[in-house]
Amino acid sequence: MNGIRAIVRKELADHFSSYRFLILFALIAMVSLITVYMVGLNLKTELRGIAKPKFVFLLLFTSSGSLFSLVQFVAFFGPLLGLVLGFDAINRERSEGTLSKLLSQPIYRDVVINGKFLAGVITISVMMTAIVLVITGLGLKIVGVVPGVEELWRILIYLLISIVYISFWLGISLLFSILFRSIATSALAALAVWIFFSFFIPLGASVVANSQVSQTETSDVSALVQRARIVHTITLASPLELYTHAATIIDPTRKTTRSIVAMGPMERLSLSRFSGPLSLLQSLFIVIPYIVTLIAIAVICFGISYVVFMRQEIRSL
Amino acid sequence: MTRKGKLLIHALIWIGVVTFMGIGPLGTAWAANPSDGNHRPDRMLVMAPEYPGVEIARDQDSVSMNILFHNQGRTDETVQAWVAKAPKGWTARLKSYRYTVMGIHVPEGEDKTLTFEAIRDKDLGPGTYTFEIHAKTPDKRFQMAQTIEIKVSDEEKSDKGPHGIELTTSYPVLRGPSDGKFEFSLEVDCKLDKDALFELFAKGPEEWDINFKPAYEDKYISSLRLKAGGTKTVAVVVNPPPGTEPGNYPVTVQVTSGDAKAEANLEVNLTGTYALEVGTPDGLLSLNARQGRPANMSVYVKNTGSADNNGIQFLSFKPENWKVEFTPEKLDTIKPGELKQVEVSITPYAEALVGDYSVNVNVKGEKVSKPLEFRVTVNASSSWGWIGIGIILLVVIGLVGLFRWVGRR
Repeated sequence: MNGIRAIVRKELADHFSSYRFLILFALIAMVSLITVYMVGLNLKTELRGIAKPKFVFLLLFTSSGSLFSLVQFVAFFGPLLGLVLGFDAINRERSEGTLSKLLSQPIYRDVVINGKFLAGVITISVMMTAIVLVITGLGLKIVGVVPGVEELWRILIYLLISIVYISFWLGISLLFSILFRSIATSALAALAVWIFFSFFIPLGASVVANSQVSQTETSDVSALVQRARIVHTITLASPLELYTHAATIIDPTRKTTRSIVAMGPMERLSLSRFSGPLSLLQSLFIVIPYIVTLIAIAVICFGISYVVFMRQEIRSL
Repeated sequence: MTRKGKLLIHALIWIGVVTFMGIGPLGTAWAANPSDGNHRPDRMLVMAPEYPGVEIARDQDSVSMNILFHNQGRTDETVQAWVAKAPKGWTARLKSYRYTVMGIHVPEGEDKTLTFEAIRDKDLGPGTYTFEIHAKTPDKRFQMAQTIEIKVSDEEKSDKGPHGIELTTSYPVLRGPSDGKFEFSLEVDCKLDKDALFELFAKGPEEWDINFKPAYEDKYISSLRLKAGGTKTVAVVVNPPPGTEPGNYPVTVQVTSGDAKAEANLEVNLTGTYALEVGTPDGLLSLNARQGRPANMSVYVKNTGSADNNGIQFLSFKPENWKVEFTPEKLDTIKPGELKQVEVSITPYAEALVGDYSVNVNVKGEKVSKPLEFRVTVNASSSWGWIGIGIILLVVIGLVGLFRWVGRR
């Protein structure tokens, strides 16, 4: 345990002092703040004259002002943070010859990878918490609404989901840095995987769905629903989609994570009679499959890199 | 010639003018002559029956006619008049439109009438009956006697109303709930030969509120003026007091005018009130349900009316693909005050969204229906949550296993 503490401390020091981290963090923080500021301004004008709206505070995170909402932003560019933190974690040490030196110290080998991953997760947590707290504070100032306990819980759960999501990408880049000796290769591989899962899978899903369901019957409800179902099934392979679905926890008025819901007129009438927000537990039950999947893939990804690293031959070049 | 001619013309003009001047006043004097008392005798009184002889059918009980008094003199006269002789079995009297009278005052130059009325005993056989009516002034200057003959024939004649008034109603029996309002339409047909004021009376069960109303007008009346031979429709509005037992209640309507009288027998058939009370035993109208799983609710139906309620059905207004079932599906009869329980089973659609839905149930009984709205909260199945936690636990255990297996090198 002493060993892992030392490794984590060293790694954190590395992270926080490196220029690329600072640049990235500055970028993310700036964009988040700008986004939220715009949302806040929008909200302020939109909510003028409305008596005591509920859950205004959560709109800061989900409402897309002029460009992105915070949730969308983290979904698209959060992975970059994880990738940047991890793509050269092992192979840089290896190429600089410090890994064998490190391992000649009285520490176990698993401490090295555990420590590196843990340090990455801590860094991500610090960044995300900072962003969310800044937004909360800014929101208090801009919107002037004090969030309730349930809203705080939703924000907290959202924060955890975001940390897990970025940690998954950290795990991916860690795995590549173990697999590939070259830093450039691992960086490119990680980028490729990110682009593939985040952008090509949703695109490909609609292509597949279009080929399955004839596009001419766009007015046909069942065809639309079937198309949406195909898209949904395929995009489940994308962590970005998992995260987007899971992040609906923030919005208490969302009653499903699906984007298209076939609803008859009677059902709509019946549902609109009592149009209240969902309780936290119900919202949680809706998104729990996605949260579980996210946690599972993050843990599995780390597990694989762990096994690979432990099995690897460490030689000084 | 010319002189003579001129003179003649002058004379003619003068004659013409004089004649004109003379005749004008004379003519007006003649025209005013009949009303001029100077040409009438000082006192002159005549009495005459309207019809000296009358023939009536066997089933007609009464005769009424006017006795005319003419005062052709220049003095107001007060006449005493009485029926001097009436055959046995007859009751005869002289009356005004309201009272039996012993005399009448006839102002000068006017005509006055009294009504002679003779009522026959029912068992009196056919024959000719003679009545004598005498009249005199108090100073006995005029003593008059007139006879009226009434011939009761052997024939029956029943198409005429008995007393000169006919009451007809198309719907003599009305049926309805106890708290309802019953409106009979009654046609009053005046068969009298003169204008008359008709008094309207109604007799019903105690505490019942019975009023007369002109048709299509919103005011209550208690009398009615009809022209001779005229007809008017009167609405009889009957309001039973609250809490009246179901049953048949007779209402008698009487229309009288002087001696003329007609009765109509109406009937109100009360069926009791129809009212249902629907609710849940604990008053709770919200329930939780799961997608695709039935949720049960107990509903009671109580008959708060005073009549049996038959054939109670249950209708539901629900979102598509939802199922709402009732056990039993319908209730045959609920007696007044009785309470019956119905189990409602609501099954949300398997792909229903999480949230609050409104499901309406309509309990439709005889003449009454009661809506009931349920708030059905569709909850997400918590099983997925447990499965998820299980998966995470498995993954963590796997990771710990990995640490044990390959760690510490």
